[in-house]
Parts: sequence; C-alpha cells; structure tokens
Amino acid sequence: MDELELLKKHWKSTGDSDQKLSAKQLYPMLLKKSSSIVKTLFYISIAELVFWILINFLPMLSTSYLDDLEQVYGNNIVLIVLSVISFGVVLVFVYLLYKAYKNISVTDNTKQLMASILKTRKIVKYYVIYNLTMIFISVPISLYFTSLNDTALHDKIIHFTTTQTIVFYLITFVLTGIFVLVFWLFYRLIYGILLRRLNRNYLELKKLEL
Amino acid sequence: MNKELEHSFIELLEEHQNIVHKVCRLYTNNYDAHNDLFQEITIQLWKAYPKFRGDSKFSTWMYRVGLNTAITLYRKSKRQVKTQEFDAVQFKIKAEDYDNTEEQQLKLLYQAVYQLDDINKALVFLYLEDKSYKEISETLGISEVNARVKMNRVKNKLKTILNP
Repeated sequence: MDELELLKKHWKSTGDSDQKLSAKQLYPMLLKKSSSIVKTLFYISIAELVFWILINFLPMLSTSYLDDLEQVYGNNIVLIVLSVISFGVVLVFVYLLYKAYKNISVTDNTKQLMASILKTRKIVKYYVIYNLTMIFISVPISLYFTSLNDTALHDKIIHFTTTQTIVFYLITFVLTGIFVLVFWLFYRLIYGILLRRLNRNYLELKKLEL
Repeated sequence: MNKELEHSFIELLEEHQNIVHKVCRLYTNNYDAHNDLFQEITIQLWKAYPKFRGDSKFSTWMYRVGLNTAITLYRKSKRQVKTQEFDAVQFKIKAEDYDNTEEQQLKLLYQAVYQLDDINKALVFLYLEDKSYKEISETLGISEVNARVKMNRVKNKLKTILNP
C-alpha cells in the first residue's frame, strides 16, 4: 500500500475518538474568555496609545507647566498649531487602529488573516515611530527655546564659547538619540517575541507564492 | 446571544467536533494543551457563528476557523511540552489493526508529519481529510497550483523518510 494511503486510512479511523464531548461539556466553553494573539495585541496597542497620550497631554493638566510653557514660548502660534496637530494625529491613529481591528476576521483565509493582524501591528509601529521622532526633534528645539527665554538657564549658558554651545547641543542630541534607540529596541524585542511564530508562518505562506 | 443561536451552535459543534479534535491532535502534543486549543477554537467558532450564513457547509467553515486558530491566533499554551516528539498514544495506533511493518511505518509517518512546520501541517491535514486542492488553496489563501506543488514536495519528503 502507498505510504500516504496507509496514513490516510489510519487518520480516518481516528474519527470516533474517545475525546468526544457532550453538549453539557461544550456549553461552559462558550463562556470562557479567549486568549488569542489578537486580544493580546489589542490590549498592548491600547496600552501604548494611552501611554503616549498621557506622556503628551498629562503635563497640560498642570497649571504651573502651562505657565512655564507660556513664559518660554509666549503665546506662540506654533505651539497652538502643534498641539492641535498632535491631537489630530492621536485621533487618526485611534480611527486607523479601530478599522484595522474590525478587519481581522477568523473566517478569512489564513494568509489574509495573518496580513490583517500584521497590518494592525504596523499601525501601532507607525504610532510609536511618530512619537519617538517627535521626541527626538522636540527635545533639542524646546531646549533652544528654553535657553532663550528661561532666565536661569540663559544665565548659565550665556558664557559658553561657540565650541561649548555646539558640544552642549551635540550631547543633547546624542542623549535623546540613545533614549529613542533604547526605547525602539525594547519595543522591537517585545513584538519580536510576541509575533515570531506569526511572522514565520506568514513568510512561509508568502514563499509559496514565489 | 440568544438561546436559540446557542443551542443550534452547540448541536453543530457536538456533531462535527471531531474536526476540532483532529486539528488539536496535530498542533499540540499533550492532553492539557489539546484541551486548551480545543477551548480556544470553540470560542473563535462561537464568536464568528452569528456571521455564519450557511452558504458553505458548517464543517468546511470549521476547518477554516480551526486551522486559523491553531496556526495564527493560538498563543502556544504553557502546557505545551517543549518537544517535537510525537505521542503515539494521541494517534492511537493499535497493534492489532496493522502488521509490524505498517505499525512501524505509521509511527515514522506521524513522527515526520509532526515535525513539519505549521503551514505544511495544515496542507497535510487538509489532504488527509480528502479536501480538494481548490478547497486547500481557498482555506490557506494560496493558489491552487502552489498548493499542489507544495503538497507533492511534502509527499516526496515523507516518502524519502520511509525509504531512505
């Protein structure tokens, strides 16, 4: 007999397993909570959104922080525009994420399902990249504005030579860069571990289409 | 969810549960992990059930949801033993039904299937369930030609294992 036919014959005979569950045993299963990867990803992305929203907007609740901002930037129109844009960006990401999650369907074919999950993860990734880029750009810029308008800091760096000023800003850039990089690596590691199997299987399916 | 829906779902699941058990047997390697995956597939089937329109057979729909859960959604259970060894007990090879050579061959075949990656396992699973290449390609989202080519490769691989 052909080997695979032998396997098929045996496979079919495993039909009536003694693992058969009764309706009474099946009912309670409907009430249990799912522990699927989509659910885990959903909670992580919500946590990430909340984390960055808090980082960006929590300081706004403090009046002393707002006073400081006003002192440093004045009633700068740029600051208002930037705040409106960052609110807008958050809303856009929330919408995109919602849409992406709605698109994940277990009844799609395997490849499509994997693609939808990876797309969702990409949206979160772009959100994190956006935030890290903003941090990288805004730390040196806000330091510059502060040095112009904050008297305490201004007095300290007024005596800097040109070289010292360049080194001062260079150090700020490098430190911010390191912070951003460490954060990014940490983030990659978490998602790398979580989605290792999914990525591997998706690549395997894509390889079939080559 | 209303009771009627719940009732019809349980009735169908009870009738076709063997498909889910088979998926679990292929993707897990012990009793506890099997039950975990069975539970997760049941939840996914139940969540998707209101959208099941009956334009395909319930069993066909089950293959898709079951495999999708096993390959993509299911996060490996902590109870999954870290081994690629297959458990002959899970596959119930009864000595009285097969002669010695066949029994040995079956063990080797299952061992080989067990060591395949998730996607190839799905291919073999659907093949063993007598699904057409059209159905296999629609379930996995690959072209029919590629499903055929890949399956031939797997078949050859399994043959080489038996006849080195």
